[in-house]
Amino acid sequence: MRERSTSLPRCVLRLYVAGNSPNSVRAIANATAICAGNPDAGYRLEIVDLLKFPKRALADGVIVTPTLVKLRPLPVQRIVGNLSDTAEVLLALGDQ
Amino acid sequence: MRSDPAQNNRGLAQRLAEAEATIKALLSGQIDAMVDAESETPVLLFQAQHALRQSEEQYRQIVEATSDGIVKLDLGGGIEFVNPRFGEMLGWPPDGLLGTNLLDLLRPAPSVTLRDALLGRPSAANDEIEATLCHQDGREVAVNLTAVVLADGAGAPIGTLVVVRDVTQQKKLQAQLMVSDRMASMGTLAAGVAHEINNPLAAVIANLDYVASNVEGVVTGHGVMEIPSAAWLAEEVKGPLDDARLAADRVRHIVKDLKIFSRSPDAEVHGPSDVRAVMESALRMAWNEIRHRARVVKVYGQTPLVDANEARLGQVFLNLLVNAAQALPEGQAERNEIRVSTGLEAGRVVIEVSDTGMGIAPEIIGRVFEAFFTTKAVGSGTGLGLAICQRIVTEMGGQLTVTSQLAQGTCFRVALPVATREDAEVAAAPFAEVSASRRGKILVVDDEEIVLRAVKRSLAREHDVEVVLAGARALALCASGRKFDLILCDLMMPVMTGMDLYRELSKLVPQQAGRMIFLTGGAFTPDGRTFLSEPPKENIEKPFDSANLRAIVRRYLG
Repeated sequence: MRERSTSLPRCVLRLYVAGNSPNSVRAIANATAICAGNPDAGYRLEIVDLLKFPKRALADGVIVTPTLVKLRPLPVQRIVGNLSDTAEVLLALGDQ
Repeated sequence: MRSDPAQNNRGLAQRLAEAEATIKALLSGQIDAMVDAESETPVLLFQAQHALRQSEEQYRQIVEATSDGIVKLDLGGGIEFVNPRFGEMLGWPPDGLLGTNLLDLLRPAPSVTLRDALLGRPSAANDEIEATLCHQDGREVAVNLTAVVLADGAGAPIGTLVVVRDVTQQKKLQAQLMVSDRMASMGTLAAGVAHEINNPLAAVIANLDYVASNVEGVVTGHGVMEIPSAAWLAEEVKGPLDDARLAADRVRHIVKDLKIFSRSPDAEVHGPSDVRAVMESALRMAWNEIRHRARVVKVYGQTPLVDANEARLGQVFLNLLVNAAQALPEGQAERNEIRVSTGLEAGRVVIEVSDTGMGIAPEIIGRVFEAFFTTKAVGSGTGLGLAICQRIVTEMGGQLTVTSQLAQGTCFRVALPVATREDAEVAAAPFAEVSASRRGKILVVDDEEIVLRAVKRSLAREHDVEVVLAGARALALCASGRKFDLILCDLMMPVMTGMDLYRELSKLVPQQAGRMIFLTGGAFTPDGRTFLSEPPKENIEKPFDSANLRAIVRRYLG
């Protein structure tokens, strides 16, 4: 049977942004679009504001925003920038 | 323990790749912020600052484009910032007002409440406050002000932000609405008034025709008697003439009521007024609306004079009476009642108009004074009447309130302050008949031939009366050297008005100008009012009865 998107996510992403700054807004839009465009990949996306939670960023090894962190499956991957190059992002995520 | 060199290398390679990607992103302007690892605080980069500046720019544009004036004050009321709209409101370039104290621009000097609000004192209310500001050219600008206290990060006040709305147009519209509401009331009642006038007028015409045909019979010899007896004269001439006179008096009363309501609103004359007399006028005006629907019960208690504009007060009473009538079904006048009462309560004059109608539901009673709120069918009410009534009463320093019970009826209550000035005009008492003093030479000037003939008939037995139909003709007579003891002159005439004649005579034959008494029909222009009052000139109001006219002339000549 095919896995439904409501089951456990196979790919856990965390996007660090800085409030509503322009690149962050763009990155959120791009990341959301990538997740929505690949429903079978089982993405789960969490968005974290660096301006509010700088320590979480440091704990995840993130020092600039926007940065998308792929937490699962391992290995952890970090993609820096506004994620406008979808192909490159998918490649970095392991072409899910 | 030894680490796996291959894994270490992979980790290092990944970190390097990430660093490279970060530098690439930085250079291509894709980075907004970074975390300072030492202080663990975020730092916004240039683009983000730029975005913030853009957002500030947007706010600036809003502040500049808004139709309200925006002013930032320091703690003492000094102006630190104004938007262009505020400058425009007062006729200044925006920079021209910086450093000026806003309190100095208020006319008159601000009340304590206004001062507290503008200076952000804690006691100040947050409501909109009506105020008047002084324009650069000296004229006054009506505004509504809303002040907000500005505080620093620690909550300490650093000044106020004042939003200023120009309400000059709004005020003008309100004034126009008041006039148009009165026009609407007048329109509703015009038919009723015509009816009220037509009845007595029919009696006047019928009685005069009757007398005319009787007299004609005597003159031509076709009548019942050739030499009329005293009894016949009393029955067939004096009786009908008396009736005609009574009916004509009724017309005169109705026209007098109309004059109360049509008095120019811009005169805004306030004076001691008897609310009972105004109520009586309003009752007569509304009678056509009331008589098919209700009995009227009047309870007039002790009622001192109030300080009011009679036309405005009449408008309020008329509105309340018509509303009361319209709350009652047509055709059951005996079962319904409109009760009008006046009295004195706690030092205020209280007037109540209540009806035995269906009442107002509790859920809407709070809204009856709102503008455009109406329960009447489309086209039968503007929804402005009560809102305007409340405004009028409030402006007179009074209150208009309502109580109602479903299926029992509604009661509107007006409470007004008692007049402080007791210099009420004494009602024009009829002049006592005084015996003829001396035979005078009188000139009568009027553009209505019918008036000229009536005045001549009234005065010709006691005086030498000459009549002319135009001001120019009167001027020519006086200029030719004719002397009159008295000139009775209509105030409003086409071509040359009474005022023009007076001015011309003042130049040519001043002693004749000093002998003028003006006949007035009541519908004054502002010019006419000023003319009669500055300096005061004698005038007789039309319609006048002949006894009064003769008495005035005798008094003048005596």
